[in-house]
Amino acid sequence: MVENRVVGKSVKKIDAKEKVLGTALYAADIKKKEMLYGKILTSNITHGILKSINTEKAKAVKGVHAVLTGEDVPGLNSTGMIIRDEPVIVKKGDKIRKIGDTLAIIAAETEEIAENALKMIEVEIEELTPVFCPYEAMKEGAPQVHEKGNILSVRKIIKGDVEDTFSKCAAVVEGTFKTGIQEHAYIEPEAGIAEVVGDVINVWCCTQNPHMDRKEIAANLNVGLQKVRVIQTTTGGGFGGKLDESVQIHLALLAKATNKPVKMVYSREESIIYTGKRHPITMKYKTGCDAQGMLLAMECEIVADTGAYASYGPGVATRCAVHATGPYYVPNVKITAFCIYTNNPRSGAFRGFGVPQVALAHESQLDMLAEKIGITPYEIRIKNALRPNMKTATDQLLEQSVGITKTLEAAKTRAEQLLKIRL
Amino acid sequence: MKKKGVGIANMWYGIGNTGLPNPASAYVELLDDGTAIVLTGCADIGQGSDTILAQIAAEELGIDMDDVALISADTGVTPDAGKTSASRQTYISGNAVRFAAREAKGVVIDEAARLLSVDPEKITLRNKILTAEGTEKSISLLDCLNECRKQGKLTLGHGSFNPEVIALNSETGEGKPYACYGFATQVAEVEVDTETGDITVLRMVCAHDVGKAVNPSNVEGQIEGGVSNGLGYCLTEEIVVENGVIKNTDLATYLIPTSLDVPEIESIIVEDPEMTGPFMAKGVGEPALIPTPAAIANAIYDAVGVRVTELPVKKETLLFKMLKKEVS
Repeated sequence: MVENRVVGKSVKKIDAKEKVLGTALYAADIKKKEMLYGKILTSNITHGILKSINTEKAKAVKGVHAVLTGEDVPGLNSTGMIIRDEPVIVKKGDKIRKIGDTLAIIAAETEEIAENALKMIEVEIEELTPVFCPYEAMKEGAPQVHEKGNILSVRKIIKGDVEDTFSKCAAVVEGTFKTGIQEHAYIEPEAGIAEVVGDVINVWCCTQNPHMDRKEIAANLNVGLQKVRVIQTTTGGGFGGKLDESVQIHLALLAKATNKPVKMVYSREESIIYTGKRHPITMKYKTGCDAQGMLLAMECEIVADTGAYASYGPGVATRCAVHATGPYYVPNVKITAFCIYTNNPRSGAFRGFGVPQVALAHESQLDMLAEKIGITPYEIRIKNALRPNMKTATDQLLEQSVGITKTLEAAKTRAEQLLKIRL
Repeated sequence: MKKKGVGIANMWYGIGNTGLPNPASAYVELLDDGTAIVLTGCADIGQGSDTILAQIAAEELGIDMDDVALISADTGVTPDAGKTSASRQTYISGNAVRFAAREAKGVVIDEAARLLSVDPEKITLRNKILTAEGTEKSISLLDCLNECRKQGKLTLGHGSFNPEVIALNSETGEGKPYACYGFATQVAEVEVDTETGDITVLRMVCAHDVGKAVNPSNVEGQIEGGVSNGLGYCLTEEIVVENGVIKNTDLATYLIPTSLDVPEIESIIVEDPEMTGPFMAKGVGEPALIPTPAAIANAIYDAVGVRVTELPVKKETLLFKMLKKEVS
């Protein structure tokens, strides 16, 4: 085989110089002539109905160029990466489902004017009983976050017979594992700028997917995809948090309404309140093996709280289910993963997509079994690790590039050298 | 008293969307002087996809890294490459770029084959020279491009790639959710203060199977960043929500690891070649953090005999469980 010349070499990152020198242009750095600043009025209650909204006083403030409400969204007024279930701006008469739902957006000559004008918007909300616990939300009679019910998705993976197999196991362990809510905390909070040029709306923003942004903007402005151009600016981290829409649609609406460039930069606080988080998940696990430590059966129930909107929730729950066994051959599995709506902050995509959560559970269970039957954590892992020509829980035949035995051996060797221990 | 413990954790991670189509595409233009422009919709969010895709294009075209200009993530200019998520861009956009480069290269290969009177299959392009295998015959890329232009031939390519998956059955989950998987093992060494419950992670040893490391330094960067991200998730990072309200909305109260918290990280790159990947590469972005909390949790058990069942691990909970264990 011919040796590669470039691939496999630690060449310098092509953006290294501009990052080191500080010359990289982030969305917050962009300035345009006659640029306005965008701000959002958001709900401070978790569940309710927007009975009325009066923007007249805010509109009258000097320096304010536009105040838009749900009525002013010409298109779908709905966004969401898997299911469109989140309003771009909550319309009068419609539901508020979490803290931070957008009630109005504003464009003004300075951020201060915009912030002051926001305070002059009069809002009347009829509060509804919220639900915060996903297990409560699953019960009949629980407050309904969305019309279709609180159970957003159920993913099942079933293979063999777990009940019968557990009775034949030499060791069985059980446990419940819970994970908290993680914030992406990228160095750059969400930011963007929009400008109408000719009949095309240009949006410069930090993002993980400009083509999806284009689709969402076009659908909500009710224009063709060719009339929207999204240009990614230097993006200071995403980790999944910049997959959902943040400033994009709001900016496009304001630029169109004012016919001026409009910029929006979230503060850290806004970024934390408005955007998605890592799903908090509860996992009930039961795992069994034979006397030699070979895994025979695994049963688990996974409940993911996706908060008020779906975002990537069903995808996260599905990924949890598919990865629930860990990289091991398990002949009998019964996995159920629920994704549940509540009035909590929205959970979304986050580096790992539910797999760090299940990894805590399956890796703890393996150690518990190893201890029960008297083998080491390394031994139980190397015995059960997937190898080529083995099948996964979804019955997928893995043919090649199944490196888990190699990573186990490599990590063991290096750890033993460095830590001067035997694993 | 301070007690040390060691924990081990494995992970696997399917590259790309689960059982769903998720294609990426790219365009490549080989210019008159042997340099190239790559157009890709792939958004670089700091992880380095611009560099990785430029490396793949340069390798396929037999030119240098400096010869490649890459324009990414502008819907007015670049074709759709899907999301920068699911650790998919090296594998999926990498293939798209490679196929686009291969199509552009095909034009010069055909032209070289004609000029050197050999079959196109015999021509290789490397280091800006087109060589007829098994002969002394060759032509420089520059001369060949000149000949192409004389013939009115431009050197353009489009490539797209959609990983082969099968949707999951709604009742049994049967299917082929991903075309390939990344694998990893991480070992954590921790120290637990039995009087305060303080947990210090002393060292992480991380072995990751990435198929092929397109850029080894960048893979190490992903592993180090991932471990830091996983360390925070395990020990300090928690958004506190009470009745739907986030209580800690700033970085003074939401605690991400600082350089003082990040342990020695030993990265080991394992390359079990993925036959469907670009130069046999898979992905590493998410795998880097996945086993970290589990490895730390198992190390805590090894140190003090208390099983971690909740993330983040709160020292007061750990202390309470240690006391309870002592009493019983």
